[in-house]
Amino acid sequence: MTGVRVIGVSKSHGLLRVLQDIDLAVEPGEFTVLLGPSGCGKTTLLNTIAGLDIPDSGSVFIGGRDVTNVDPSGRGIAMVFQSYALYPTMSVRRNLSFGLRVRSVQRDEVERRVAWASQMLQIGELLDRKPNQLSGGQRQRVAIGRALVQKAGVFLFDEPLSNLDAKLRMETRVEIKRLHQELGATMLYVTHDQIEAMTLATRIAVMHKGRVIQYAPPDELYERPRTMFVAGFVGSLATNMMTTRLSPGDPPMITLGTGRFPLDRYDFTSAPAGDRDVVLSVRPENVSLATSGQAGTVEADTLFTEPMGADTLAWFTLAGQRISARLDPHAARGLTGRVRLAFDLDKVSLFDPASGDRL
Amino acid sequence: MAAATNQARIGRIGLYAFLVTTCLFFSIPLLVVISTSFKPLSEVRDFSVFQLPAQMTAAAWGKAWQSACTGTECAGLHIAFWNSVRIVIPSVIISVLVGSLNGYALSHWRVRGADTLMLALILGAFIPYQVIIFPLVKIFSTVGIFGSVACIIAVHVLFGLPVMTLLFRNFYVGIPNELVKAARVDGAGFWRIFLFIILPLSVNMLIVAAILQTTGIWNDYLFGLIFAGHNNTPMTVELMELATTSTGVVEYNVSTAAALLTALPPLLLYFFSGRYFVRGITAGAVKG
Amino acid sequence: MDDAVAREPRALTGTLAERSTPRRAASPRVREVAARLALVPTVLVMAVCFYGSIVWTVYISMTRSSMLPEYGFAGLFQYNRLFNSLSWQTTFDNMFIFGFLDVVGTLGVGILLAVVVDRHVRFESLFRTILLYPLALSFIVTGLAWQWILSPTIGIEHFVRGLGFPHFVFDWITQPETSIYTLVFAGVWHQSGFIMVVILAGLRGIDPEIWRATRVDGIPVWRAYVSVILPMLRPLIVTCIVLIVIAVVKSYDLVVAMTGGGPGFSSDLPAKFVIDYVFQRANIGEASAAAVIMLGSVIAIMGPYLHFEMVRKR
Repeated sequence: MTGVRVIGVSKSHGLLRVLQDIDLAVEPGEFTVLLGPSGCGKTTLLNTIAGLDIPDSGSVFIGGRDVTNVDPSGRGIAMVFQSYALYPTMSVRRNLSFGLRVRSVQRDEVERRVAWASQMLQIGELLDRKPNQLSGGQRQRVAIGRALVQKAGVFLFDEPLSNLDAKLRMETRVEIKRLHQELGATMLYVTHDQIEAMTLATRIAVMHKGRVIQYAPPDELYERPRTMFVAGFVGSLATNMMTTRLSPGDPPMITLGTGRFPLDRYDFTSAPAGDRDVVLSVRPENVSLATSGQAGTVEADTLFTEPMGADTLAWFTLAGQRISARLDPHAARGLTGRVRLAFDLDKVSLFDPASGDRL
Repeated sequence: MAAATNQARIGRIGLYAFLVTTCLFFSIPLLVVISTSFKPLSEVRDFSVFQLPAQMTAAAWGKAWQSACTGTECAGLHIAFWNSVRIVIPSVIISVLVGSLNGYALSHWRVRGADTLMLALILGAFIPYQVIIFPLVKIFSTVGIFGSVACIIAVHVLFGLPVMTLLFRNFYVGIPNELVKAARVDGAGFWRIFLFIILPLSVNMLIVAAILQTTGIWNDYLFGLIFAGHNNTPMTVELMELATTSTGVVEYNVSTAAALLTALPPLLLYFFSGRYFVRGITAGAVKG
Repeated sequence: MDDAVAREPRALTGTLAERSTPRRAASPRVREVAARLALVPTVLVMAVCFYGSIVWTVYISMTRSSMLPEYGFAGLFQYNRLFNSLSWQTTFDNMFIFGFLDVVGTLGVGILLAVVVDRHVRFESLFRTILLYPLALSFIVTGLAWQWILSPTIGIEHFVRGLGFPHFVFDWITQPETSIYTLVFAGVWHQSGFIMVVILAGLRGIDPEIWRATRVDGIPVWRAYVSVILPMLRPLIVTCIVLIVIAVVKSYDLVVAMTGGGPGFSSDLPAKFVIDYVFQRANIGEASAAAVIMLGSVIAIMGPYLHFEMVRKR
């Protein structure tokens, strides 16, 4: 079992700082996802760990060994590429075995590993085909198989599902999760898809503009985002970001339209001082229609509803701002006019509007 | 690790050594010809072309241009130079325009038999000239223009037809047909669309095609020899005459100067339009 | 520029495979007339000058024509005569000798150069400029330059003797047994730059992730080229071979300028043989037979190639 440590890694392309002083520790057996929008540096970070990119400064440790200047093939890693990068002129069998043969692994050992990997991924009957005779999902399996046979301690995945259609993507996601559990290997996985990240990871490193903004387990990331960027990026339904007024006191109060809400259980990073504008992030599932007589509610006007099957997303205007609520379809049916909304105040986040940091 | 970088460095050095050696091999013929062309006559006999001139003189160039003997005439290559110019310019203009028109008709209009014509053109691009050269002589004799400038221009246009058409067709296939449709909705017809929409979009390709044709036609020897007639022989043909006409001492300095004079126009074209030139030769490779 | 280069060598054959997808124009009939009219001259020229001429030549090759065309059918009389003549036998063999060596040499040098330049060398455009300039030269100038360089009296032999090796001999160009090989020097010199550009464009089109995969797999660079990358370019390499072979069959100017087909007819090639027989020896019948053999050679190469290209593209 192998861990990965990245210490103070920076890299620039000309004036563009792709990676800025990155620190990251991946414990042995962990499934870490590097998540971020395109251009955030996540693939560069992965390539740096793989040895395909050389950092300008900083070091990379794999299994406790400094591998900063070691060739990719000497790092004890295996990698699955976005375009799969299967060798198109070779059969699946040869794709799996070629790297081992070149490194003069013994013949029967090569065969044993190929058999093991193909059984693991159920690609046994594809072994004699060429990559162009395979479907996208099958190619993906072969690409993973080529990584498996390396028997590496660390697996690197570079957006491996982005070329698959929605259904296959879900199936393969499950497959990768199963592999992680069966192999118990350390995995590093790059994606821009937050659902993929949430479902797969034991820990997610959210990256933005060459920095790791937050490195935390999925639920923590979702419930306690460290910045406005993280709050906005994570979650399949966009969170509501509302400008509100925060006044200190015991408990501190926020004012939103006609409503005033006490934050008696909010865990402030530092006690608020003085009246100030803040950004309130409240997720649609934490907004509900108020029952009559409920305290801490606010008036809002219904805009329209979007039925999504299991839930309905209802849109309102509140103090000139838009807000969405994830409602039970029955409750949302025929919703019009003025309503009262309630918030689950245990699950909101407050951010400084200027720095975007969590308060 | 240090060993690895050392090995890599040795690899790099080997790489550059190989490249430089090859480049030397590639440039030697040109350098040798240039150096010989600046030698005085006294240094030509009993000297190797690899020796640099002890005395530089441009006399051979003057002679090659003005007074060297080609066969029985002794007027250098300057007449042939202008012959080549007179042949190349109309041939290039006509063949490029016809090719572009054909390519447009074949790519953006539905014409019955277009597939057959395409196949005929593709195969035509690969047919050895020798198979049709004698019938062509007969045809042009019958029409009565054999051995004239018109004849050699017609031959160049003819043999340029397949490659030029295919070149433009493949280029125009990349232009969205919606453009033509939109123009037709606006009321433009076949010719108007060609002149005002397609041609302005093909400036790059026109340059590529023109360079390809200019080089090819300037460098042609066979057609000039057979079809141009005695009064219109292009430069390549006269160069061969000059190089094989010997009266006593072979004046290699004059021959090399003449070869350079002949090679100069396409070489200049190459050095000043490298990008287009490369596209042209690769696209029109089948002509070679 | 590079991607354009990569596409275009196959442009001609590519068009064949595309033919099966008709371009929708959905035009009223009136409009088609102009397009059809525009193509009439081309159709006529192709029909008469190309294909009509081929038929005529093929027919003449089966008559007893000599100086003037005769139209009495004589079967394979000319072919018989052709293949019994010593000069044609040499010429025909030469086509294979020159063709084989030229393909191997040009392709070998071209691919090697492409691989070297692909390794991110500095001054790439300078190297490319030098390696490609021979293509701008006519075969006449190329042939003359190489004739001078290889000539024992003024070329390499004379030069090396001057350096203090008085018994040095390099007279291939004046020896009947070896003169055909000298054409290979000039051929490789003239064309390998072109092959380099084509292959290089192909190499630049390789998915960079393939390279990354080989690095993670620990495959040495040379091994990656041999086992992974160049096999991926096989269709392109086949195209290059076809182009070189076609150029060999068409080689006329180079022979004329370099060896004149000599000494004797030892370095003659079919393209020159035909022209000589038409215009100097005034033997149209035998020339036509030889021309038909040339055509056959081209078809023998092109036919299977186009067929496989079309199958591959489907």
